Amino acid sequence: MLQASERPNIYCETLGPDQFGIIEKPLTLAEQIYNKVWLRKLAILVVLALAWELYGRWLDNPLLVPPFSAAVRALIADVANGTIPRRALSSIEVLLMGFAAGTVLAGLLTVFAISSKIGTDFLDTMTAMFNPLPAIALLPLALIWFGLGNGSLIFVLVHSVMWAVSLNMLAGFRGVSATARMVGRNYNLKGLHFVGQILIPAAFPSILAGLKIGWAFAWRTLIAAELVFGVSSGQGGLGWYIFESKNQLDIPEVFAGLLTIILIGLAVENGVFRLIEVRTVQRWGMQA
Amino acid sequence: MTGAPALASKTTPDTRLPSASPAPRGRAAPESEAGQRLLDVRGVTMRYKTQAHLITATYRVSFTVLQGDRFVVVGPSGCGKSTLLKAVGGYLTPTEGEITLKGERITKPGPDRMMVFQEFDQLLPWKTVLENVTFPLKTTGALSGKAATDRAMQYLEKVKLADFAHSYPHMLSGGMKQRVAIARGMAMEPDILLMDEPFAALDALTRSRMQDELLALWDETRFTVLFVTHSIPEAIKLGNRILLLSPHPGQVKAEINSVPRGQENSNEAAALGREIHDMLFADQIEKTQNAPGE
Repeated sequence: MLQASERPNIYCETLGPDQFGIIEKPLTLAEQIYNKVWLRKLAILVVLALAWELYGRWLDNPLLVPPFSAAVRALIADVANGTIPRRALSSIEVLLMGFAAGTVLAGLLTVFAISSKIGTDFLDTMTAMFNPLPAIALLPLALIWFGLGNGSLIFVLVHSVMWAVSLNMLAGFRGVSATARMVGRNYNLKGLHFVGQILIPAAFPSILAGLKIGWAFAWRTLIAAELVFGVSSGQGGLGWYIFESKNQLDIPEVFAGLLTIILIGLAVENGVFRLIEVRTVQRWGMQA
Repeated sequence: MTGAPALASKTTPDTRLPSASPAPRGRAAPESEAGQRLLDVRGVTMRYKTQAHLITATYRVSFTVLQGDRFVVVGPSGCGKSTLLKAVGGYLTPTEGEITLKGERITKPGPDRMMVFQEFDQLLPWKTVLENVTFPLKTTGALSGKAATDRAMQYLEKVKLADFAHSYPHMLSGGMKQRVAIARGMAMEPDILLMDEPFAALDALTRSRMQDELLALWDETRFTVLFVTHSIPEAIKLGNRILLLSPHPGQVKAEINSVPRGQENSNEAAALGREIHDMLFADQIEKTQNAPGE
């Protein structure tokens, strides 16, 4: 058996950096193209659109499924004559009011919830009761309370946004690490300063996720409300546009309305929310 | 050597208890206030409740930290040293006894006792390195605007991180994050810097370098630091005064002087290390020896 002392010390020479073949090599053009996220996503969309187009032509029944090109033509025509932009604007206006009101209320409720035990219980109970309740189910009541108008739409929007957003905010606030809290208290931060300077930034990934969910809920609720109850204000929004087009059997227009909703959703997701993400949670290293 | 001497240590430096090494305390702080009583911990018992138990973390712990001290609390896990530090930080309230800083009782956290934690997430990820250091300065109203930035940069240079002032914490390594946390604590120029095993999560090499840097910083500014660790070599290297706590519950075993600066590799230091080790683990050895007879 070898004793430790019998084994010699071993020393090796390392190679210099110039003696290696490849240390760094640029990727090929194909690899670089494949690495672009937006290009990959675009490819998926193109394939879907192509499948739709082919199926529509093969079916040859524009009343059931008009081809993609017909929907796009209807979309372009109605955008050009101003119908869709007008309808979309009127939808977005109501949507933004409801979304903003719902978010602010959710914020207040959550701050109340984290600052006291009874507040936590209150929020827990309220979200358990109201989150599963479809906002549309409240529309008949809302119409009685607020009349035919934006008031009732905003009421159901607030309902659909508020619980989802506050659930996420509360989860985020609860997840803030004890160390971060102690750091804040070390600086004598109290009350709203503590919430604003420590809790909200630390919980921002969850808050942002909540806002995204709230935004999607708001869209669904609004379009559904417009579809069910039709025009509730002067001219009606996208939901009403879809409903009208269906009644006149303008099926390409129905698809054009659906495409508009999808496009607005994509724009908000990839424009607004993505931008906020890049500027905040990604820069802070809280999200890969 | 029996423990318990520091229990009654309402002492002035001169009448301190006989210590292992009769070396002078090795503080030659230039400030006139150096050597004055800064932090007094008197008979502090810390208890807290878990779901099923009432746990006594420390029992009647007393010690005094002087201005300019590098005071290290060392003990095995479960001796309540972190709990004790959190009490000094003001996050926890003692069940018994009191803690005073410059004669004023500590009741809540405050920027006069800046904490450096073990966890890397103590830096706020949504602020750059520079913002992390200026934030407490601004929010406590200590300094504002350019003055705060200047002070922050001054301390970032001290920890050799001025080049990373505009990076975000997630871009830094663990050691760099801890250096930012130390710069942040020092920039506030607190009465006392509280360090809760700040190097425990670092690898051995980084850890040793950080210890050297901390000592170099201390040579420059002679801040007072209360340092908690479970590593005996770290305690001997960093501290000028060492408090030994026994586990379950934490009680003072001894309060002794460390070896003079720069002699952490000497025979004297090794002897001190063995002595501390024996004191801390004496009970356990007795227990294992008695165990078969029970």
